[in-house]
Amino acid sequence: MNRLLSNAIWDIVCLIGIFILWQAASIAIGIEAFPTATQALVEVPKLLTSASDLADMWASLRRMLTGFVAACVIGIPIGLIMGRSQVVADVLNPVLMLIYPVPKAALTPLLMLWVGTGDFSKILVIVLGASVPLIYHSYQGGRDVAKNLIWSARAMGMSPPARLFRIVLPAAMPEILSGMRVGITMSLIVMVSSEIIGRQAGVGNILFNSLDMAIYPPVYGMIIIIGMIGFAVDLLFQQFQRSVVPWALPRKTGDDDATFMWS
Amino acid sequence: MRKTISLQRLIIGTVPLILIVLIWQYAVKSGAVSKNLLAAPTDIWNRLLVLLAKGYVEDIAVTLLRLLSGLGIATVLGITLGLAAALSRIGSRFVLSTVRLLAPVPKIAIYPALMLILGFGDTSKITLVAIEAVFPILLASYQGARMVEPKLIWWAMSSGASRPRIAWQIVLPAAVPSVLVGLRVAFIVSCVVVFLSEMISSKDGLGHVLILATRNYRTVDMFVTLLTISAIGLIGNLLIDWLRHRLQPGGR
Repeated sequence: MNRLLSNAIWDIVCLIGIFILWQAASIAIGIEAFPTATQALVEVPKLLTSASDLADMWASLRRMLTGFVAACVIGIPIGLIMGRSQVVADVLNPVLMLIYPVPKAALTPLLMLWVGTGDFSKILVIVLGASVPLIYHSYQGGRDVAKNLIWSARAMGMSPPARLFRIVLPAAMPEILSGMRVGITMSLIVMVSSEIIGRQAGVGNILFNSLDMAIYPPVYGMIIIIGMIGFAVDLLFQQFQRSVVPWALPRKTGDDDATFMWS
Repeated sequence: MRKTISLQRLIIGTVPLILIVLIWQYAVKSGAVSKNLLAAPTDIWNRLLVLLAKGYVEDIAVTLLRLLSGLGIATVLGITLGLAAALSRIGSRFVLSTVRLLAPVPKIAIYPALMLILGFGDTSKITLVAIEAVFPILLASYQGARMVEPKLIWWAMSSGASRPRIAWQIVLPAAVPSVLVGLRVAFIVSCVVVFLSEMISSKDGLGHVLILATRNYRTVDMFVTLLTISAIGLIGNLLIDWLRHRLQPGGR
C-alpha cells in the first residue's frame, strides 16, 4: 500500500511537470494554434457540461464498450480452443500473423463500403482491433493450463465442453484478463483513430468542429479528456483484475501490455 | 522426426491460407461478390504493378522515410530513458511515472495538436511516430537492463568504470535481445500510426493514396494500399525477429 501511495504521489508530480512544460513551451512558441495548458484545462469542464459534446462522447464510449464486449465474446472462446487443440492453433496462427500488422482503424473506409456508414461499421472496426490481443492472450492462457488438472477432470468423466468451461476457463483467467486489459485499451485507440479519420461522429466530431472553426483551446481540452479516459479505463481495469484474480502474480510492467498496443 | 512434424504443421498452416485466397478470387470472379466491394487477388496484384510503374514507389518511399525517422528517434530516446530508469533510482521514478501516465493514452489523439503546432508536413508525422514508438522500446530496454546479471555490473564498478560507461558497455549489449522485442512492437505500431497520420492530413504517402481511393470509390486501390502497409509491417517484423535470433546467445 505504501508503495502504491508513493507511486501515486510521483505520478501526480510528473503530471504537474508535464503541464508546466506545456505551459512553458506554449509561452515560448507563442502562436495562437498552441494555447497554454491553463487555457486548455479551462475548456475541460466546459466540454464536460455541454449537452451536445456529452452526447458525442457518450456515443463514442457506447460504441467502444459494445465493440469490446463483442470482441470478448468472439475472441476468448477462439483463443481457448486454439490453446486446447494443436490443429486449430496450427490453422489459425498463420492467419493471425497476417492480420497482426493490418492497421485496423484504416479499414474504416472499406467497412463503410461493406456495411454502410452507420454505427455498425464503427463498432465492427473496434471488434476487429480488440479481438487480436484477446485471442492471443486466451490462446496462451488455454495452452498453459496445468495438464494434471485436465487429466483429473477427464478421469472423473467430465465431458470436453464441461472441461472447457469448468477447468480451462478458470485456470486461464489471469491471462484472459490481461488480454482484456490490452483489448479495452485497443478498443479506445481504434475508436479514437477511426473517428479522427471519419471526422463526423463522436469524439472526432468535437475535435474537428473546433479545429475547422479555428477555435483551438477546445481541441486541446478534448485531447486532455481522451487522455483522462485512457488512463481511467486502464486503472479501473487493473482494479477489476485484482479483485477477480487476486491469486495471480502481479504482472511485470509492460511485458505484453506493450506487445499488443497498436492502433 | 522433428522435421516431419514441423513440415506437417507448415502444411496445416498454409493450406487454409491458400484456400482463403482461392475462395476470395472465385467469389469475386464468379460475380457472387460485387467487384465494387471486394477486389480479386489477381486484380490487386495487377493494379499494384500498374501503380508501381506510375510513381507508387514515391509514396512508399515518403511513408518509409517518415516511419524510419520517427522510429530512429524513438529508438535512441527509448534506449537512453530505459537504461537511465534501470540504472538510477530517481530516474526510474520520473520515467516510470511518466510511462504509467501516458502509455494508456491513445497517442493518435495528440495528432491534431501536432498538426496545429508543427504543420501538416513531415515534422508532425515523424513526431507522432516517435511518440508512439518510444513506449515499447523504453519498456523493453528497461526490462532488459533490469535482467542483466548484477555480478557483471559489480565487477565493472569494482574496476572503477563510470556509470555511463557501464550503461554503454555492459548493460546495453546484454539488453539488446530484449530491446529488439520492443523494437519489433514499435515497428508495427509505427507503420500503423504513420499510415493513419497520412490519412488524416492527406497530402502524400500511402495513407493519402488510400484516402484518394476512398473518395473515387476505387476498391482495388484501397486493397493495394492496405496490403502494402501491412506487408511493410510484416516484413519489418520478420527481419527484426531474425536479427534477434541471430544475436541471441545460444541462438542460431
